Amino acid sequence: MRNLFHKKDLPFELFEVDILSATDEELQKVSDEAGLALNTDEMQRIQAYFKSEGRNPTDVELQSLGQAWSEHCCYKSSKVFLKEYLVSIESDDVIDRGDAGVVEFDEDHAYAIRIESHNHPSAVEPYGGAATGIGGIIRDVLCMGAQPIALIDPLHFGPLDLRYRDLPRGVKHPRYLMGGVVAGIRDYGNRLGIPTVSGAVLFDEGYIGNCIINVGCVGIAKKKNLARNRVKTESDVFILVGGRTGRDGIHGVTFASVELTEDMEEEWRGGAVQLGDPILKEPLIHACLEVAERGLLNGMKDLGGGGLSCVVGEMALAGGFGAEVDLEKVPLKEEGLASWEVWVSESQERMMLAVDPENVDKVLHIFKLYDVLATPIGKVIKDKIVRVKYQGEVVLELDLDFLTAGPEYCRPFVTEFEPMKEKETALDEPEDYERVILGVLSSQNVSSKEWVIRQYDHEIRASTILKPLQGRIGLACHGDAAVMKPLEHSNRSLAITTATTPQYTAINPYLGGMSVMDEMCRNLVAVGGRPHSFSNCLNFGNPEKPDRLGAFRETVRGIGEMASELGLPVPSGNVSFYNETSFAPVKPTPVILGIGIVEDFMRCVTSDFKKEGSLIYLIGETKKEMGGSEYYRLRSAFSPAVPAVDVNVLKKSMNAVLSSIDDGLVRACHDISHGGLAVAISEMCLGGNMGATADLSAIGGLRFDYKLFSESNTRWLMEVDPEHEKDMLSKFDGLSAHRIGEVSGNSVSFSDDGMRIELSLEDVRKAWTNTLYELMGGMA
Amino acid sequence: MRIEDVRICILYIEGTNCEEESYWCFKRLGAKPEKVHLKQLIGMDTYDNEKRDLLDYDIVMIPGGFSSGDYVRAGAILGARVKSSLEAELVKFGKEGRPMLGICNGFQVLVEIGLLPSFDGFMSPVPQAVLATNDSARFECRPSLLKHENRGNCVFTRKLPRGDVIVNPVAHAEGKFVFPKDREEEMLKKMEELDMIVFRYVDPEGEYAGYFWNPNGSLDNIAGMCNSEGNIFGMMPHPERVFYGYQHPDWTREKSREEGDGRVIFESVLDYVTKKF
Repeated sequence: MRNLFHKKDLPFELFEVDILSATDEELQKVSDEAGLALNTDEMQRIQAYFKSEGRNPTDVELQSLGQAWSEHCCYKSSKVFLKEYLVSIESDDVIDRGDAGVVEFDEDHAYAIRIESHNHPSAVEPYGGAATGIGGIIRDVLCMGAQPIALIDPLHFGPLDLRYRDLPRGVKHPRYLMGGVVAGIRDYGNRLGIPTVSGAVLFDEGYIGNCIINVGCVGIAKKKNLARNRVKTESDVFILVGGRTGRDGIHGVTFASVELTEDMEEEWRGGAVQLGDPILKEPLIHACLEVAERGLLNGMKDLGGGGLSCVVGEMALAGGFGAEVDLEKVPLKEEGLASWEVWVSESQERMMLAVDPENVDKVLHIFKLYDVLATPIGKVIKDKIVRVKYQGEVVLELDLDFLTAGPEYCRPFVTEFEPMKEKETALDEPEDYERVILGVLSSQNVSSKEWVIRQYDHEIRASTILKPLQGRIGLACHGDAAVMKPLEHSNRSLAITTATTPQYTAINPYLGGMSVMDEMCRNLVAVGGRPHSFSNCLNFGNPEKPDRLGAFRETVRGIGEMASELGLPVPSGNVSFYNETSFAPVKPTPVILGIGIVEDFMRCVTSDFKKEGSLIYLIGETKKEMGGSEYYRLRSAFSPAVPAVDVNVLKKSMNAVLSSIDDGLVRACHDISHGGLAVAISEMCLGGNMGATADLSAIGGLRFDYKLFSESNTRWLMEVDPEHEKDMLSKFDGLSAHRIGEVSGNSVSFSDDGMRIELSLEDVRKAWTNTLYELMGGMA
Repeated sequence: MRIEDVRICILYIEGTNCEEESYWCFKRLGAKPEKVHLKQLIGMDTYDNEKRDLLDYDIVMIPGGFSSGDYVRAGAILGARVKSSLEAELVKFGKEGRPMLGICNGFQVLVEIGLLPSFDGFMSPVPQAVLATNDSARFECRPSLLKHENRGNCVFTRKLPRGDVIVNPVAHAEGKFVFPKDREEEMLKKMEELDMIVFRYVDPEGEYAGYFWNPNGSLDNIAGMCNSEGNIFGMMPHPERVFYGYQHPDWTREKSREEGDGRVIFESVLDYVTKKF
């Protein structure tokens, strides 16, 4: 085949790519060779554009289009569904939908939220991939002018005890991946001084080939300091601040827009994963917030996917202008980078500021004091084009409207899924209930995540009022949500939680989407937070395959319908496709970062039992909805019946629980999720170091094991003082609220129609505590 | 002097990251804290109105974090930068009895500078001890219980009765206080004699215990210490994170407590300064 890349006669490397005369086959070859990850249709659109321009593109121009039109940057396969179900939810509280969503906190303050994926980099290089994931999400919040105050990390791996002989070729062992990812988050987040307050760790065979690593961040800002991700005037100067630009992170977004293959590691290791530097980021945060506080900014945006090529065009277009950049002014890590490499590199710790010419010197001084590089590299121009020069030569000149008009697809999808048609396993009642309960408690999914949590600084900044582990000192157990008090002079606080439901979504995507919303609401309400907004990260397989896209669509529909009913806006979000390898797609994994407002944090409650003699109330209905449950998984059983949601019952129940907490009628509250009622009560006992007796006969019509382990939605356990019982019950009129026992003794016991199980607190603690320590190493 | 005139220099560089909550501890008690970048004290890259003189302050605090990334060794880089540019001012400051506080990374810095502990003169030319990697080889973020064992020498704990146990969180990977093995016994003895030991890690019964009550494996359970004059104090746990009762990890079990266990450190030193100067 012909060589279409012709080096231009210049003192530096620049190629003209002869696409005008290229056949379709040659167009695809250009895309493949240059690593653009564009298909033939897309290349044809590019060809048509340059035909009308009467010239061939440079390699810089093609690379720029490859970035801008990648799935990662332009959401070409997902946009149609997101628009239909999620983006349309209006709320007066949403202030901005930029790189992070900005939502009203109080009269003078706003909070910023975003969650996104860093799956592919983490699968190849777990430490660096996870660390730069944190770096990127922090910049998304920072570029809104907000101080990052909390990090959130939901992680999904293959089983830690996977036998090496079952590990597919070219895939890293889950233990290695988890060790690296946790260390990456720890070293980056702890060094920056942003507490990691919430997360989840799930294990499933579906994640062996492709782990799912999501990273979320929450920030707080004075409304007057909020920044927009755009230029403001025709005279704005572009100042590039932070790290130098190098070959790390070239083609990160196109890497994220294809399936992982066995030899991808070799192919991409050279550059697709960026290198993070938290100690550059830390002063970068200070300097950016200071220029925002002093009113020196016209706009700000972070350099993430696509690097300069995306940030310049997007900021200019959002302001209604164009841009001109001198590429040789960009500070480099090493010499000899081709101009297209400088233009698309995703090197970390960089931000772009748009600044009035008269403020440039003031801005440069502030960055100098913090020892952070700041370099004017370009300016706004009136015409809506982006023009890039290198050593006086124009290496790129594209209409912004064309550059940013990425394709949008309505690809074929199906909405009937095989698992929904399969039959429920006929399962015998267990003979040894004690052993089964201890087995669920010690399973990787249910057991203590302390091994992870304590490696993250979760209380730096001293505003984590409810911590991820709750209860007596030295004996604390999982809480449902963290609560942050972001302002010195106000008790108004933010409840922050994570929800993820791949186990249900894999069977029934629509209900999986609804369940993830129910879980988010339960968690926030359990600590006394009223759900306020959320951000989502949707991790799915290859959208070019109809069943994967169908699962995506149905999940989005489930989330969207719930959000709409609950009046919860989604000011930001992220879609990650192509999470699959040649041997399997990941379980479809919707992840939610949920925010609740707490009017006065002093009313918050935690999950640990507080007092002997308290009554234990079960709120909500327990049904035989065993699909995706931890109990069925451990017994290798299947059910198509995953937990459903009645959104009206959810709304009423949330109000009743919140009102009870607000009135001080609740001593402890815990949502029922993974592992069901048996696990939830056990956790409350562990945190309080107190026993409990539970009689489940009030839950009628179900076998004992279903009562214990069902993961039906919209359920909580509440610890209530006998004195407050009447007041509490009056709030649950028409809702299901059963008194099932009381806090007492040193053991956890469950009974039902003549059956009785009793476990000593000590055995429960041993089962629950040690699993991850044993698998990952270290002292418990 | 009056409390509202007490000026506190909260020193930071890149990677210092507990300056904000440290600032508020002094501010809430009515004093005058200021976050000061090292370059403001050295006069580098600063306008005149940004320059600061260390000797204009009454208390110096080096807060927690990962100064300069803690590459090389925790606190080593900031320690070297401070010592090379500010040694004379630092010695004068300390010899006048003005208090210096190092928390977590700040403690590591004071050890690296040779201020804690120093047995031969005010500042040892080389560090006498080291805060080494935790026994667990992991970063540990957890509540710890500290027993106050100082006999009155330390100006940062004079308002805390001897023998009291307080809750302070730790959050570090390098907090294991150790001496060279061959001089361990002799140095510990000196520390006892000179009343340099301030806090020891204990369990809920107030007894010395192993991991995780002692979160790092520190020699003799040492969590915090002062110099022989009592005006320079360093500790690994974070009192600035428990200024209020609601910052305690188990506060929802006992909502009535208003004051956090870390507050007494800041109250004590402000009380000392207002009385002495």
